[in-house]
Amino acid sequence: MEIDRRRLMALFGGLLVAPANVLAAPDSEPLFLAARTEAGRHAIAVFDSRGSELFSIPVDARGHSFAIDARNRMAVAFDRAPGTHAVLFDVDNRKDPLPLVAAPGRHFFGHGIFSSDGKLLLASENDYDEGRGVLGVYDVAAGCRRIGEFASGGVGPHDVVLMPDGRTLCVANGGILTHPDYDGIKLNLDEMTPSLTYVDLHSGELVEEVRLAPELHRLSIRHLVVDAYGVVWFGCQYEGEAADRPPLVGRHRRGEEPVLFAGPAETLRALDNYVGSVAVDLSGEIVATSSPLGGLITYWDAATGRNLGQTSLADGCGIAPLQDGGILATSGRGTIAAVDIARSRLRSVAEQPAVGWDNHLRRIG
Amino acid sequence: MKRVIILMFLLLPGFAAQAADGAGTRIADQFARPALKALVDAAERNSIVVDALCVEPGAERLEAARKTFGTLVTDFGRASVLRFGPSAAESRIERLFFWPDPRGIALRQVQGVLAKADDTAARQETLAEKSAALQGIPALEFVLFGSGSEQLASSDGAFRCAYAAAISRNIGLIAAETLNGWSADTAFARSFTAPSADAEIYRSPREVDGEIVKAMSTALQFLGAAELRPPLGETPEKANGRRAPLWRSDLTFALARARVGGVQALLDASGYAETVPSDQAYAIDSLRFELNTASTQLGEIGLPAEAAFADEAARGHLAVALLALDHARDIVSEDLSAALGLTMGFNALDGD
Repeated sequence: MEIDRRRLMALFGGLLVAPANVLAAPDSEPLFLAARTEAGRHAIAVFDSRGSELFSIPVDARGHSFAIDARNRMAVAFDRAPGTHAVLFDVDNRKDPLPLVAAPGRHFFGHGIFSSDGKLLLASENDYDEGRGVLGVYDVAAGCRRIGEFASGGVGPHDVVLMPDGRTLCVANGGILTHPDYDGIKLNLDEMTPSLTYVDLHSGELVEEVRLAPELHRLSIRHLVVDAYGVVWFGCQYEGEAADRPPLVGRHRRGEEPVLFAGPAETLRALDNYVGSVAVDLSGEIVATSSPLGGLITYWDAATGRNLGQTSLADGCGIAPLQDGGILATSGRGTIAAVDIARSRLRSVAEQPAVGWDNHLRRIG
Repeated sequence: MKRVIILMFLLLPGFAAQAADGAGTRIADQFARPALKALVDAAERNSIVVDALCVEPGAERLEAARKTFGTLVTDFGRASVLRFGPSAAESRIERLFFWPDPRGIALRQVQGVLAKADDTAARQETLAEKSAALQGIPALEFVLFGSGSEQLASSDGAFRCAYAAAISRNIGLIAAETLNGWSADTAFARSFTAPSADAEIYRSPREVDGEIVKAMSTALQFLGAAELRPPLGETPEKANGRRAPLWRSDLTFALARARVGGVQALLDASGYAETVPSDQAYAIDSLRFELNTASTQLGEIGLPAEAAFADEAARGHLAVALLALDHARDIVSEDLSAALGLTMGFNALDGD
């Protein structure tokens, strides 16, 4: 499907280049978004930093992550892969949610972003019959009508972030080929080639492609965050032999080779070859990476890559900025907790044992 | 010194006994090594018979080659539940059985090799460097049973036969490498049979149990989702037996039953029936019941795979078999895991 370029350019008329998070009102109470499952029922929840729920939206399938439009205080919650549904909603609950459905022959991978001005929504999607990753492009003002797609530059695009220039996307192409007819079975482990790609939001052009060393071709790059320096950090899961224990966290500066950080051997081992989410603290100086398999959240100095320690949280995966030196975390066992990274202190703010919080926690405001 | 040693023995016997008699040791001795040895032997027999066919082509020898292929498939099916450790290394499982293949890559590549008479595919050493799709059992099936395979009965099929011989030899070598990976002196086997807190890969018996449970669950998922459901389709009109593995040789259901048999054998060898708490032993009985149901139903289909998926009666058997496989998988990931003290995290599913 070719994108209508004239239409796209028209939508970019009012594009602002400031990153979305800068645009939030500084004194507004931050909100947190996460998908939950409770007694087989799925919902999207909006709560505050004390874990108090403001409202929730029932959905048919387990949700995953969110695209956030901080300027207009809107968000889209995506189903987990291979979901075909998403919902656009007002984070202050002033408007009715708008359900979205994936295009024929496509499914969502669970992540997406808005352009800085909130006019476009882009979602990581699977063109499964062709076995290629795409970014679906949606016109928000037209009821999130899908107006085209860009190639993601790889197979199995998962997370996607907008770079600080406001016009370049960074995509984590996990490299794992799946098809919805095959129940998530990984179809290409012997020849998977994950990559980070940078895609121009105006043209869909692939402007940079980054791959790991050939011996790490089974290290699937999946989750992304941009730090205080405008540099991309990524978290990986490993599809090779269990005994290999490759580094799971990396950093990439545009135009350079990616750098991987292993941290202490015992910590790396405990992560069990799986990082499920990455986030920064509010300053953007500390990167947090979570492993629900290991029940660990680990911290990294964004400037140097030095490992700063870890916090245990059983089945913990959702992480989001809370304050300078602090994050809010969620777990599959119903915990919402505030973490003081420097003191390695975790303080539970809410416990709902019947609730499973999905992998991702996102902050707005 | 002597006293220290005695003291150590006093402290260690519980652990030592557990390691020596643990599920990992039982599985290595009673299932993995015998099952992989059977696969190595079946591949060797197939290789000898295919070589003989190439030397002196004829209908009888072609029939013999096809027959030994059937044994190779069922021995592979049983051993295929071991999708970890040596089987996962070097992409061995994909090289032995490139599946699922929704875009028909193997067929295109194998036909390309045959059309071009690519000599590098007809030598094991160079074949092993090629795409996994060209190397394993599905590729050998097309060569022995696919269109043009009748050439193998005459000298017209010389290249085709040489390629078959190379695939067969390659399968035997991959199987032998896998078996070697289970030798008692490998780091993998040491860890799997005597997990230790200070050594990779498995640091506790619980981690070994986790691997076994995952292997059972993955095998059941693979059989249902990758092999039986895609050809079944939602309605008879949408059925397509040609989406099933090994439909040309009509070994689809023999493979499926062998895979179920592999899960049963792994469960038996694990000794879990005796080691789980008695009030949770029902999980083992329930699992056996579901596996038996699946195997029985698959055995009653009685039609070639190409036609069976669209046949109403056969679809009934398949539906029951698939339901039993789903139940079996639920029992493995919930009841058996719980009985073994394993907890599956809400966010523990990778890929998200």
